[in-house]
Amino acid sequence: MSVIIILVIVGIVVASLFLIGFIWAVKSGQYEDMYSPSVRILFDDYKESANNDDGDMLADNNIPENKYKNDKISNQ
Amino acid sequence: MELQKFTYDNKLTNYFIWATVGWGLVGMLVGLTLALELIFPNLSGEISWLVFSRIRPVHTNAAIFAFVGNGFFAAIYYSMPRLLKTPMYSKALGNIHFWGWQLIIVLAALTYPFGFTQSKEYAELIWPIDVLVVVIWVVFGLNMFITIINRRVKHIYVAIWFYIATWVTIAVLYIVNNLALPVTLTLSYPIYAGIQDALVQWWYGHNAVAFFLTTPILGMMYYFIPKAANRPIYSYKLSIIHFWALIFLYIWAGPHHLLYSALPDWAQALGVVFSVMLIAPSWGGMINGLLTLRGAWDKVREDPVLKMFVVGVTAYGMATFEGPMLSLKTVNALSHFTDWTIAHVHIGTLGWNSMMNFGMIYWLVPKLFKTKLYSAKLANAHFWIATLGMLFFSIPLYFAGFTQALMWKEFTAEGFLAYPNFLETVTQILPMYYLRAFGGTLYVIGAVLFIYNVWKTAAQGSFVRYENDEAAAKAPAKPKESFHRRLEGRPLQFTVFALVAILIGGLVEIIPMYLVKSNIPTIAAVKPYTPLELEGRDVYIAEGCYLCHSQMIRPFRNETERYGEYTKAGETVYDHPFLFGSKRTGPDLARAGVKSLPNYKPDSWHFNHMINPQKVSPESIMPAYPWLADNEIDLSVTPDKIKAMRTLGVPYAEGFEDIAVDDLKAQYAEIAKGLRSSGIEVGDNKEIVALIAYLQRLGTDVYNNK
Amino acid sequence: MSCVHCGEDCGKHPVMWEDKPFCCNGCSTVYQILNENKLQKYYDIQPMSGIKVEQADVGNKYSYIDNKEIQDQLLDFSDGGISKVTLFIPSIHCASCIWLLENLYIMHKGIIASSVNFPKKTVNITFNDNIVTLRQVVELLVSIHYIPEITLDHLEKKESGKSEKSLLLKIGISGFSFMNVMLYNFPEYLPGGDELSSMFTRFFGIMSFILALPVVIYCAKDYYLSAFKGLKHKMINIDVPITLGIITLFIQSSYEVITGDGIGYMDSLIGLIFFLLIGKWYQGKTYSALSFERDYKSYFPVAVTKINDGKEETVPLSELRVPDRILIRNQEIIPADSILITGEANIDYSFVTGESIPVTKKSGDNIFAGGRQMGSSIEIEVVKEVEQSYLTQLWNQENKKDNKVQLNTLINKVSEYFTVIILLIALVSAVYWMFNDPKLALFAFTSVLIIACPCALALTVPFTFGSTMRQFGRKGFYIKNTDVIENLRGINSIIFDKTGTITINSTMKAQFIGKELDDEQLSIVKSLASNSSHPLSATVKDSIKNRNTFIVENYREFPSLGISGVVNGKRVNMGSCKFVTGKDDPNPESTNVYVFIDDKVHGYFKIENSYRPGLKSVINKLKKVYQLFLLSGDNQAEKKNLSPLFGSESNLLFNQSPADKMKFVEERKKKGEKVLMIGDGLNDAGALIESDVGLTIADDIYSFSPACDGIIESSRFKQLPEFIRFTNTSILIVIISFIISFLYNFVGLYFAVQGNLSPIIAAILMPISSVSVVAFATFSINYLAGRLIPDF
Repeated sequence: MSVIIILVIVGIVVASLFLIGFIWAVKSGQYEDMYSPSVRILFDDYKESANNDDGDMLADNNIPENKYKNDKISNQ
Repeated sequence: MELQKFTYDNKLTNYFIWATVGWGLVGMLVGLTLALELIFPNLSGEISWLVFSRIRPVHTNAAIFAFVGNGFFAAIYYSMPRLLKTPMYSKALGNIHFWGWQLIIVLAALTYPFGFTQSKEYAELIWPIDVLVVVIWVVFGLNMFITIINRRVKHIYVAIWFYIATWVTIAVLYIVNNLALPVTLTLSYPIYAGIQDALVQWWYGHNAVAFFLTTPILGMMYYFIPKAANRPIYSYKLSIIHFWALIFLYIWAGPHHLLYSALPDWAQALGVVFSVMLIAPSWGGMINGLLTLRGAWDKVREDPVLKMFVVGVTAYGMATFEGPMLSLKTVNALSHFTDWTIAHVHIGTLGWNSMMNFGMIYWLVPKLFKTKLYSAKLANAHFWIATLGMLFFSIPLYFAGFTQALMWKEFTAEGFLAYPNFLETVTQILPMYYLRAFGGTLYVIGAVLFIYNVWKTAAQGSFVRYENDEAAAKAPAKPKESFHRRLEGRPLQFTVFALVAILIGGLVEIIPMYLVKSNIPTIAAVKPYTPLELEGRDVYIAEGCYLCHSQMIRPFRNETERYGEYTKAGETVYDHPFLFGSKRTGPDLARAGVKSLPNYKPDSWHFNHMINPQKVSPESIMPAYPWLADNEIDLSVTPDKIKAMRTLGVPYAEGFEDIAVDDLKAQYAEIAKGLRSSGIEVGDNKEIVALIAYLQRLGTDVYNNK
Repeated sequence: MSCVHCGEDCGKHPVMWEDKPFCCNGCSTVYQILNENKLQKYYDIQPMSGIKVEQADVGNKYSYIDNKEIQDQLLDFSDGGISKVTLFIPSIHCASCIWLLENLYIMHKGIIASSVNFPKKTVNITFNDNIVTLRQVVELLVSIHYIPEITLDHLEKKESGKSEKSLLLKIGISGFSFMNVMLYNFPEYLPGGDELSSMFTRFFGIMSFILALPVVIYCAKDYYLSAFKGLKHKMINIDVPITLGIITLFIQSSYEVITGDGIGYMDSLIGLIFFLLIGKWYQGKTYSALSFERDYKSYFPVAVTKINDGKEETVPLSELRVPDRILIRNQEIIPADSILITGEANIDYSFVTGESIPVTKKSGDNIFAGGRQMGSSIEIEVVKEVEQSYLTQLWNQENKKDNKVQLNTLINKVSEYFTVIILLIALVSAVYWMFNDPKLALFAFTSVLIIACPCALALTVPFTFGSTMRQFGRKGFYIKNTDVIENLRGINSIIFDKTGTITINSTMKAQFIGKELDDEQLSIVKSLASNSSHPLSATVKDSIKNRNTFIVENYREFPSLGISGVVNGKRVNMGSCKFVTGKDDPNPESTNVYVFIDDKVHGYFKIENSYRPGLKSVINKLKKVYQLFLLSGDNQAEKKNLSPLFGSESNLLFNQSPADKMKFVEERKKKGEKVLMIGDGLNDAGALIESDVGLTIADDIYSFSPACDGIIESSRFKQLPEFIRFTNTSILIVIISFIISFLYNFVGLYFAVQGNLSPIIAAILMPISSVSVVAFATFSINYLAGRLIPDF
């Protein structure tokens, strides 16, 4: 059953790879602010729909009307 | 550090989406045919490349690697640039990754039905394709990691940590599990044997589920649910904690697939403990996903995307609770080898993976094509059909699983097996298979509605290939002195690191020494397979018999009564690869060759049964394998096989490979004479005779009566 | 209807803009700014998330930022045209704020990027300083009502967060090792463990040894240091038995692993360190946006406008020298003791000396630093350096006594006895075994130390106090650290400051005494009063509700006397008794505004402090248990109202200078009393530091409050008695948890003394004891806090 030793070694090597990842993450200040990242991911929706000056971005008002007239449009 | 404008390219996301949709349908259709073939055994007729046992790997690989794989690649290529405010590093690598991955899927679909397989579940690909998979995976990794390094946003969102974890662990798993010695272009033997091969396979098997079907989809969940519900994740701190808890603890996954097998008891117990501990991180993810929607339930009521996500995450919670329960030894004694496992798998796949993919694509395609979803009513219809389909699929299988297990275990008052004939259980659960097929059909219909809806949405919109965005440039990296110089500055950490490095280095040298002298108690009576039996074993693998027949008798009275002495670790020490199997649609064959056991069948029975099982036992659902009587063994390869086995540690005598073909022919003639005496004519070098030789050899060593 | 921007009630006639209601011009201007820049999504993320600010006109309030020297201190990084600044903005409170503050670059081309750190409520802005100056950036923020707080102590950047990161790191590493080593040690305990071949035992032993190294060396470092420091002061604190336990566990296990005859106790060892670190993290919760160590530097302005030969120029405070002449505008703080030269000075000293009524000064009078000028701008000449001014001088004295000696807290007392007893038991069992079975002697000795290691004991205090602190925080009472809970329990006398603490100094009450004024007379008084900016006339004006006003002819003001004018053809005089009636004031101790209309004196408005709601019930509840005192810098005007409340006359002392307050606290402490001081102004700073526990009451917890141990939101003043009593309950829970952990120790000792403490027993006992104690402490605190401190 010595293959268990290989599996344990491989497992611990990969796990310590992630530990080093953890140490880097803490040191480089990834966890200083634990609230704004969860909110920040929602922001680019707004920028895209806020038509800024070069104008070719998806603006709210120029989404084409749905040609096939049926029930209430759901998720936009 | 000035404000930079850049554009995201949605081409690859789009490609991956349509690959997901396409392969999803293929995978489900193959799954449906499998379900039907279980009810109508001769549905595939004489066509060898449509038989159940050959196309089952096509279904699993299509569903996992094609449908879910392409799904989360689409998620990564869409979400990562937006989270890091940096377009993917290189379009070329992206294209190689996309087309390479589709090529792998096509190659798999071409090799499995023609019998080229390695028999290790979810890793059946023959060795050249394995190499291709590793290459493509490295290409994907390069593209991802360089994008992360060049990112503009300092903080790495938790979804990206999940993608990183997926890449690293799958890379390690795939390589360790597929270490094999190639014999010919299409054949290779794994370097592990018997119970050790089983452990490595299920260490890969469980973690393929964990790190291919869970962590990337969790990453998807952490990006797409907040986006679809337009609300921040419930608790970002919880997502960080549950991510690191999941990743740090990643050694002992796997043994819970081998409970009551020849694995040492303490390893089995450790597997159980580990699986129960896995509930915490998994449910951390589920709670985080569901609670993000608190307060938005009215939106969930009529938005199909959120409905898909909610059922997906709930199914994830159910599956990750059912998994640990199934890995408790008492429950496993009942559920192992039965349909209960299949029900558990499909709660996870139909519920968690597919629903998350559907939800993501329903949300993403309208955005990519700058239009509204073609028909929300249709999407809601798909949601209800899919949910019903999932329930109709799994619940009947729960009943089938319980019925099988209880009927196998039942004893009459006098202490005899209540259902000695295995077929009695098979016929008993056929109605549940009908219901499962119905559930499958429902699910496929749902998928068709999905494809129609998404296709129409894309048709009515116009594809937005480029999307602009702007963000501050990357902060100029401080001139970091080399890692080593900084480390020298801290004597304490330096000593610890040095110590750890030396010790791990030392251990890595010691291990090979242990490995060669694998300390499984070898049983003297166990001898390597004869060349003919070895060829028969390769036919057994090529036809996929291991998918319905297990070769592992567990130490329970009902199994020893039915199949004979339970399998010892020592018996399988020369089996490259192991063939324990994970499902008993048909009876266990571990002791098929032992004459004194009730299940023993003479050569002629095997021959007729193989050509037309229904003729021999009318209610059997086993498909016919008539081509075995026509296909021939390639004798030129036999010596190479023997040589390969010897290098893997199987004690063939020196120079045995020269006389191997003659030994094969001698044994062949003897069996052919036996068959002829019972009125069966067979040509020479036919696969069927090799298979019979192999079956008659199974389990006989320990009973030492030939 | 509520204002679109900030959600407050717009009253009867809201400001309308594009048919959207706003409560004030300020809010509507912000709405227009966001509209122009196409940022109206601000109101979609979180509706009505804006902040209301009265006077939006900035004028040259921020001119001091142009000063090069101040800029260098404020900027984090600046070269090659790119500079970065981190500004503390207390009014960040929601997702919209984050969205808006991170989209500043849309509002001004010069700004490159900005990112918000939500818990610290800071925004880090990178801008191109050739296009936009720091001052313009600050003024942009002020224009959208996100006003950065820039004070002296912000200039000296304090790098906090270092310890937070290292603790998080230690928890991560010990968590990693604990999970993995637990899995290495499990095979020994699980069924089938006996057939574990020696190869695996050695292999798992070595692996757990490797993983234990970083934990024992790096993660538990703080415990060794603090134990060593404790011993250096010949004081056995709780970390001594912990360190003893860790060292013994590690040596015992390493011995077993190396000699290969066992698996060792590595999992219990790392588990112990892991739980302890989580306890330390849980206890060390800090309110990153609140600061408790503020001194005068964070109250005084950063710069002043100096006048040399007629020209105004802004100068950093540090460059202010004696006989400089400076200009102080309305609502600005006087930075140094000085003499009034020109202008009508009404100085509000309520925050500084406690006098609730603003003091009027004539030119040539002496003005103390810290006062706030109300009304028109004045010119003053500096007499003393900023550091030597009367108030800050007081401050420097206290700093000597600032570091309170580390109180011998309850936990350290218990740990002394605990360590001694354990060592005794270990010796006794070692000696006993020496005679019967020498081999077992050492093992018995070490296993007593191992099992008795105070893991459960050491976790009791952090988790009990940690959850108490969190519950207090949730209910509006923010304390500096968990020692405050213990000190708060021991107090026996409470000293209140009057102005600002038990009174709401922003609003005063005016009560008319004399013949009842009719409607016309009331509106006459109101119209005259609304012309003067003197705080007293403002109070009179506010006390007359919903009366319209007339126009006032030949309005004249007489500084520190009164005001007069003709309204509706009637002559009206208002002011001090001497000014209106010519005679001295019959009741001098209260502040009165006499009213003379047409031909006779109708009576006078008596100005009184308005007390915090619920003051009566608070005093009655506290009176039963503690000795109450009131120290006020104000005159005796309020004595009549307060004495019935406080009971005996002796406890009310008035006209107390900050130094007197501090001396009073010292006397009480010399008498052996434990003193709780509740104050709010600069004048209480000395007393707050001197007292055992110093609490401040703040209407806005982010605005300035002197260095203290805890801040109570003014709305939670009513629950002060419950907060104080709750500290008893939490100490009670600590004691109960001690008892539980002692029980576990007895069970453990039962095995250890007999010398058959197997790793499995340790592996079971240690986590169970810690988890049960932690669970008990946390849940009981949360439950009791819910019941004992009702938040009505």
